[in-house]
Amino acid sequence: MAAIRTDDLTRRFGDVVAVDGLDLTVEEGEVFGFLGPNGAGKSTTINVLLGFIEPSSGGAEVLGADVTTHSRAVRERIGLLPEGYGLYENLTGREHLVSAIETKAADDDPDELLDRVGLEPEDARRAAGGYSKGMQQRLGLAIALVGEPDLLVLDEPSSGLDPKGIKLLRDIVREEADRGATVFFSSHILDQVEKVCDRVGIMAQGELVALDTLDELRAEMGVGGVVEATVDTVPDLGPVRAVDGVRDVTATEDVVTVTCGDPAAKMPALRRIDAAATVEDIGIETTSLESLFEEYTNGEHEAVAAQEDRVAATPGGED
Amino acid sequence: MRLATIARDDFTNARRSSIVLAVIGVFTLLVAMVFASEYGIYDEPYRTLFDVSAFVSFVFPLFLAPLAYLSIAGDRMDGTIKYVMGLPNSRAEYFFGKFASRLSVATAAVVLGMVVSFVIALATYVQAPSVERFAVFTGVSLVYTVSFVSIFVAISAAASSRSRAMFGALGAYFVFVVFWFGFFPVINLGTILDTVESLLGVTVSENTRSYVQLLSPATAYLQSTEPVYSGVFDQYQSFQLNFQPESDKLHDQTWFAVLVMLAWSAVSLAVGYLSFRRSELG
Repeated sequence: MAAIRTDDLTRRFGDVVAVDGLDLTVEEGEVFGFLGPNGAGKSTTINVLLGFIEPSSGGAEVLGADVTTHSRAVRERIGLLPEGYGLYENLTGREHLVSAIETKAADDDPDELLDRVGLEPEDARRAAGGYSKGMQQRLGLAIALVGEPDLLVLDEPSSGLDPKGIKLLRDIVREEADRGATVFFSSHILDQVEKVCDRVGIMAQGELVALDTLDELRAEMGVGGVVEATVDTVPDLGPVRAVDGVRDVTATEDVVTVTCGDPAAKMPALRRIDAAATVEDIGIETTSLESLFEEYTNGEHEAVAAQEDRVAATPGGED
Repeated sequence: MRLATIARDDFTNARRSSIVLAVIGVFTLLVAMVFASEYGIYDEPYRTLFDVSAFVSFVFPLFLAPLAYLSIAGDRMDGTIKYVMGLPNSRAEYFFGKFASRLSVATAAVVLGMVVSFVIALATYVQAPSVERFAVFTGVSLVYTVSFVSIFVAISAAASSRSRAMFGALGAYFVFVVFWFGFFPVINLGTILDTVESLLGVTVSENTRSYVQLLSPATAYLQSTEPVYSGVFDQYQSFQLNFQPESDKLHDQTWFAVLVMLAWSAVSLAVGYLSFRRSELG
């Protein structure tokens, strides 16, 4: 049984198609990063999974239960940190947590949970109306952890968290995954995702434009890194292009830029430049998930594919 | 028990709100002032209850509105609803939990106002206040409270924004109180019925008019206070003008007036809940 399965899930708001025929399966026990810029349809998808809104067509199951007909059963088994959620301003953080424990009929110790998410005891006993965004996110995380849920749904969990908080979030995600829980979290910030996700799905304009492990995505995109060599004179670029794993080679007056599909291609390419010219300086840029993500979400993926064709057609591209 | 948790949290949140306490405090103060200002005019506290009933009927909905109109619309706006509904609560538990909480706050206002009034009456009036009359008065006032809290919570559940909830609540007040009582000389229930008569070429009998007149919770409330003055109708002309204790017409019966108020509550809650059950929370 999958933790999350959507089947041709579509949701329209008037003329706008927020989620367009989404087919997504998240296996039990995996940490899944749900990426995309704001407005890509991530929150709409999550809201459907929670039963907050209904799909226009298609459907979804969470832990084997239909989200439209068995919303409560779904919410009994998941831990949720919603995006942009609010608190009762005159209740303390601890009171919110105690109510969540009561509602889920769980037997957690609220103070233990508060300690786990790093919310100071004196803050936990203050009215939530005065909370900073970071404190609210920590409390939300504690609420999500109530009752050892089988699935954690974290919508933009890192927003408002400082670097310490983000590290804590990452640790908690790992701990929960080790316990056997599935973690599904959305983000438009990628740094954190890179380190904890088994798999990522990238949403853009309501559609899933990529779905794989990060390594696979990188390989598929051919982004193994970029080498920039400053040379005295630009040599013949043919031999450099011929290196296995090199995607593209361009040159300006004195800089040769080598884009690699495979990280391991950087050094051989550099050696060939070094053999033909005097290298005065080098710069190496590892492609971050950030640029990968931008390529997908800006619709540049097609451009990359087209470029690939062109490279293949270049005589120098053949070995 | 999930409903109880929702109601408890909402009530605790309200109990610690200075605005809520101010609303209850000002209402209590105003009712107390009516009693304090009339002890030199009337010997019997029940005569003052009559003036308080007019005050409650016309003005109390304006105190209930701020206590209830944001009950659900406010939670939507600030995202608190995501906290509550992200937990395994049903829409019904949320809706009726909110209603229970807001009704409790409103009940506290009524009970506090009446207790303070009773004490003032006991201390200052020539004739001691009757516990029975105060109890009946409090009882029917609470039924009136139930009807308006239901209406406002239902509007809040159906409204998609804060401003819509506010206009809805004000609209309900104007229709059920200002319009129905005929505070505006040109547009009110009477002139509308006259228009219906001339447009359709029919005559709306006095009897029919009396029924229509009773269909607002505000007018029904005034009618329902009749038992408060049982046995003393002959004491004051204002009682005789407003009540027909001898009448066997349905629209003169207390139980019918109470039924009208409860019907408004039931219909509002049903419509509000059905609307909320289908609504989108995202």
